[in-house]
Amino acid sequence: MRRSGLIWLACLAWHALVAGAATVTYDFEVGWLTANPDGAADRPVIGINGQWPIPTIHVNKGDRLVVNVLNSLGNQSTSLHFHGLFMRGATHMDGPVHVSQCPILPGERLTYNFTIDQPGTYWYHSHIHGQYPDGLRGPLVVHDPDSPFQDRYDEEIVMTVSDWYHDQMTGLIDFFMSKANPTGAEPVPKSALLNETQDLKVPLQPGRTYLFRMVNIGAFAGQYVWFEGHYMTIIEVDGVYTHPAEASMIYLSAAQRCSFLITAKEGASTNFPFMASMDTDLFDAIPDDLNWNVTGWLVYDDKKPLPEPAEVPGVFEPFDDIGLVPWDNQTIFTNPDQSVSLDVIMDNLGDGANYAFFNNITYVAPKVPTLYTALTAGEYATDPTVYGTYTHPFVLAQDQVVEIVLNNLDPGKHPFHLHGHDFQVVWRSDDDAGPFVDSGVSESEFVHVPMRRDTAVLRPNGNMVLRFRSNNPGVWLFHCHIEWHVQSGLMATFVEAPLELQKSLSIPRDHYAACEKGGMPTVGNAAGHGTVDGNRKVVDDGAGWLDLSGQNVPPPALPDGFTTKGIVALVFSCLSGILGVSVVAWYGFANGISAGSDSDTRGGQRTTGSGSEGTSEGALGAGLGAGKTSGEGTTVDEVGRGDVDQAGGEGRRR
Amino acid sequence: MPDVFSVPIFLVTFREALETVIIVSVLLAFLKQTLAEDKALHKRLVRQVWLGTSLGLLITLIAAAALIAVFYTAGANSWETSELRFEGAFSLVACVIITVVGAALLRIGGMRDKWRVKLAGVMEDRRGKVGEKVGRRVRVKLWMERYAMFALPFVTVLREGIEAVVFIAGVTFTAPATAVPLAVVVGLAAGTLIGYGLYKGGSNTKLQVFLVLSTCLLYLVAAGLFTRAVWAFEQDAWQRLIGSDAAELGTGPGSYDVDRSVWHLNCCSPIYMGGSGWGFFNAIFGWTNSATYGSVISYNLYWLCIMAYFIVMRYKEVKGHWPLMKPKKVAAASVSGGSRSGAEESVVSGDKSVVRDRATSVST
Repeated sequence: MRRSGLIWLACLAWHALVAGAATVTYDFEVGWLTANPDGAADRPVIGINGQWPIPTIHVNKGDRLVVNVLNSLGNQSTSLHFHGLFMRGATHMDGPVHVSQCPILPGERLTYNFTIDQPGTYWYHSHIHGQYPDGLRGPLVVHDPDSPFQDRYDEEIVMTVSDWYHDQMTGLIDFFMSKANPTGAEPVPKSALLNETQDLKVPLQPGRTYLFRMVNIGAFAGQYVWFEGHYMTIIEVDGVYTHPAEASMIYLSAAQRCSFLITAKEGASTNFPFMASMDTDLFDAIPDDLNWNVTGWLVYDDKKPLPEPAEVPGVFEPFDDIGLVPWDNQTIFTNPDQSVSLDVIMDNLGDGANYAFFNNITYVAPKVPTLYTALTAGEYATDPTVYGTYTHPFVLAQDQVVEIVLNNLDPGKHPFHLHGHDFQVVWRSDDDAGPFVDSGVSESEFVHVPMRRDTAVLRPNGNMVLRFRSNNPGVWLFHCHIEWHVQSGLMATFVEAPLELQKSLSIPRDHYAACEKGGMPTVGNAAGHGTVDGNRKVVDDGAGWLDLSGQNVPPPALPDGFTTKGIVALVFSCLSGILGVSVVAWYGFANGISAGSDSDTRGGQRTTGSGSEGTSEGALGAGLGAGKTSGEGTTVDEVGRGDVDQAGGEGRRR
Repeated sequence: MPDVFSVPIFLVTFREALETVIIVSVLLAFLKQTLAEDKALHKRLVRQVWLGTSLGLLITLIAAAALIAVFYTAGANSWETSELRFEGAFSLVACVIITVVGAALLRIGGMRDKWRVKLAGVMEDRRGKVGEKVGRRVRVKLWMERYAMFALPFVTVLREGIEAVVFIAGVTFTAPATAVPLAVVVGLAAGTLIGYGLYKGGSNTKLQVFLVLSTCLLYLVAAGLFTRAVWAFEQDAWQRLIGSDAAELGTGPGSYDVDRSVWHLNCCSPIYMGGSGWGFFNAIFGWTNSATYGSVISYNLYWLCIMAYFIVMRYKEVKGHWPLMKPKKVAAASVSGGSRSGAEESVVSGDKSVVRDRATSVST
């Protein structure tokens, strides 16, 4: 399964034959296969048309892409999201289930159909129930005849890097989101892969320059990537051309992409290892048998040996992407019209599992996909209420500068991704900088020509300020691209220019059909309330559209201290204790009061003591059952003996 | 200050020392007051108490050495995997012993002489004289009474000691080692001193009041131990379920099973970081900041059983037969002749009444 060597010149040539924009069509039958990419375990994987790894989608800038999906999984629903593509005018083709579409149920079909006006390196993956790490993930390359770097390279090499699990996501998620995992420790991958395999060989010819399009299609781990003996010249991140930047090592978080040029050495006769190393800082615990590195080779001469990679550095010093400058030199968007502040928090809810929160809200999918609410809610669509509490909606007006201030109150790295846009990273703090407002950083310290990308890493306990222009009406998720955190709710929804959407957007029949098959409503607010007439125009039924009763909600919060049952239990326990001690004391005094007096006073009372002593002893004797007579005999005997032995003792005076 | 004196370690050792000394002192006080006349027996039993104590200490020291050896060789927190099971098992054993001995202590108050005599008989191993017909139950009872003096301090010291050792060892890995010695010494000294004070005070209190009050205290401790044992086993199961995460949770969410929780406070833990003052509440009242159905029910059930036991015992003593059982016809005589009137008789008839009294009871 070596695909690194795939050279797409032929493909480019084919595209070049087609004048102007073409329509590129793929028929994808999604189904289960068995694969063993790391040689350690056979496992079911989700492939396409009987193949895994799934195909790389190639289009030219300006093309229309049509993907006809047939879900043959049998036991799972699916969907496809085309990561990084803006879906201009086609927000309903974006792919997230419960956001812009209903799930494609087993046996059902759905068509994605949209045009692509961005060049660069992207990928596509399932966007439902943490499904893509099971294998439904692949690169999507938009070739650009007008690329400013068109003449700088001879060949293209598409390369994915990823983490790999040996268990299916459904089981892993069940464990991850359970009370047995209260710290929210993310399952640790079993291995790392390059192009969904290991020991990858990339043939190079001396002197030629290659454009590597590298995509982290992993579920969780960021990856350090370096090539021994070769420099990388970065020219694109997440579909945004940059001024060339030299790097000896790069870091790609889950979902990030980077294109870089590597010029093959003139006269090289040996082969060179290259390596991807998973960011183990993310792992809660590192199993003893985990190899978090994966090796590949730049092969100049396939008859020569493949050298072992050099020692992995103790401290990684990857290229810092904050220093990249977009090729178009777009300057910082100033004076944001709307600023959204989001604190990243991990906490436990009443079911004992660990959830992720933006501010105090953990994402829960609505009953009606958010897009369909936006399309049917009429003028209510500008009121965030209709989208439900737990979709964490923000309604954006059109053509405004929007700012997202992220404060990481968690000690983990989080790669945040915005659908439908790329964003300027105008400020990104170091680790442990605390919340942005407390850092005293002002606008003047922001980057003047900021890097743009669609996925950026928020540092542990740090902060980050992102800006973008709301020029793309649609419903766009903003979420951490660690798939575990998608499951635990680290998502918010941006509803951008919903009234504009209502005017311009029409949903294809098959998208509504998917909802009907699943019995999901396509009209109403997040809770399914609110009605429309035959023309899908809002019927103003009073508070119906603002009625969220019955909306999907997360588990309740953990009780903070004593609840009623706790107080009852504590009161009962205290009563038991007091009563119990009283009974013990009562018995003690009633039984042996004489003994207390015994030591002080001699006489009548003392004999009461011996009397009760006798009965208590008798009680025991009676309780014996067996050997009563002899037992009693013994006792009597002993007393008698004592009588003799201890003659003159106090007791004998009885 | 934290470099030379670890407050958690002080509190733990103080608490453990105090708990140990309380129980040892109760026993010593009891022996001193009951066996004042029989110096030899007293000496012998006191030696047993000290033997139990020192053997417990010795095993604790060995366990400490072993644990520390394991820490430094394995470098792992291996004790964490079995700490709770140890605590649960030791708590349960201590609870049973205290419960059994506690009842004996109470009744002993009323039959000092016979106790002394019987103990003397046992200690001098003169059972042979009585022959093989010694009642099984009586023998067990004697055995218990004999071994209580050894077993109680032994188990107590072992439990407290290992708890303290494990805790100190655990804390040592997170705190500088220099913070340990002073805290341990001061903790042990303070606990022992206060325990000794109690012993002294106990000796001078009227026997019965002292016995009853200290028995009440012991039963409180026992109830606490029982609920603690149940809690420890449950917590052990929970920590096994959540795996390696347990250590980093402290008292926060995830440190307990939400489905079994009756109440949980993210504070006031008797265990976490030495427990501070809450450790004392735990030692005496069985307090926990994280109650489970199991721990609450077991606590209440324990007291119910104790109450039922003493009420039934008292009933039997007064009425001469078990509750809900009709007194036998012969027993009619024993009721009148047995307890109250029997006692009055004994004023007159002296020694014989004891013998006859017993005979009457036998026939019951």
